[in-house]
Amino acid sequence: MSDRPDISPEDSAEAAEYALGLLSGSERSAFEARLASDADLRAELAAWQSRFAEIAMSEVEEVTPPARVEKALLERLFPAPEARPGWIERFGLARLYGAVFLLAALLLWVVIDLPPRPAYPPENAAYSAQIAAEDGSLVVIAQYDAARGELYLERQEGDARPGRDLELWLIAGEEAPISLGVLNRDQGRERLALAPELEMALSDGVLAISDEPRGGSPTGSPTGDVLAVGAVSEV
Amino acid sequence: MTDASAIEGLIARTALKDRAAFQALYAATSAKLFGVCLRVLKDRAEAEDALQEVFVKIWHRADRYRVTGHSPMTWLITVARNSAIDRLRKRPRESGGVDVEDLALSDPAPGPEAQAVASGEAARIAGCLDELEQDRAAAVRGAYLEGETYADLARRFDVPINTMRTWLRRSLMKLKECLTA
Repeated sequence: MSDRPDISPEDSAEAAEYALGLLSGSERSAFEARLASDADLRAELAAWQSRFAEIAMSEVEEVTPPARVEKALLERLFPAPEARPGWIERFGLARLYGAVFLLAALLLWVVIDLPPRPAYPPENAAYSAQIAAEDGSLVVIAQYDAARGELYLERQEGDARPGRDLELWLIAGEEAPISLGVLNRDQGRERLALAPELEMALSDGVLAISDEPRGGSPTGSPTGDVLAVGAVSEV
Repeated sequence: MTDASAIEGLIARTALKDRAAFQALYAATSAKLFGVCLRVLKDRAEAEDALQEVFVKIWHRADRYRVTGHSPMTWLITVARNSAIDRLRKRPRESGGVDVEDLALSDPAPGPEAQAVASGEAARIAGCLDELEQDRAAAVRGAYLEGETYADLARRFDVPINTMRTWLRRSLMKLKECLTA
């Protein structure tokens, strides 16, 4: 440690007293104010701290601390994830209740909004049709559930082409085909709601499936190949 | 004890939040620092708490070590000593003073043998303390290692506080003179 010839004995003594913690409150504040702007004084303080530390080096015996100190230290500095304060401590009870409420609401929403159970065929179908391709590569059975106003569809053969969708059409007499909806790509069975005014048209109509871009025909009329056709008949 | 440059390296790596280095630093220095805390506090449980606090400070302040310009052990000992003194001063004082008998017990002056094994610089400070009158050396040790205040020291040596202060300042100057000679 370099010693400063340019430091007065008074300053040096005060630096030593500061290092020892012997200065009174006001003396200490005044010394700290000088310390901030006086590099020589800081160096002298460091020199004293070093001299005193040597007393500890030479006179203080080493005592191995008990292992619990290190354990507690490491737990304090690096809490394991499971040792962290629990939910309640971290969020407070009010927030916990909030979280529980939110979770319950979410659960309720999920339950209510669950995708329908796999569609089941109507017990007493009023009308039915087999919509089939000539070569049998696409076969869909359609049954009308009059009680619910739904058309039950069961795909027995075939799939939409890659990147394309299948769209179901109702053709009644000379009218333009009416879209009944795009078939679900992932489920072989489904139910489509049918507008009540279409029930009459269905009774003597023809159902057709066309190949359409994803999401269905952009024009409202079939734009792709008609893949399968089937006449509706009364059951 | 691990040598200074090794400890310096461990402090530098601790500053980078290297836990393994921090644990190695603890392994290398905790016995000395625990000794310092025990010497100041004279209470095992309190010294254990103080030591934990010391290493928490070391973990958080290791990046500032270089700025102090200290040797690594000086820095570590200063952190430990000051933490222990802070704790001591916050302690509620019962019966208004430090127990003289306690001090006598905990303040064994190092014999010449102890000085012989100490490192060069440490041996020098011991030798210079020995050049002071016995009372004065005890006062310096009391202030540093026991955290005694001027009021404590004045009571212990049965002199007015101002006299005590004059004594101690003069002793410190002698000590510095001896060390820088």
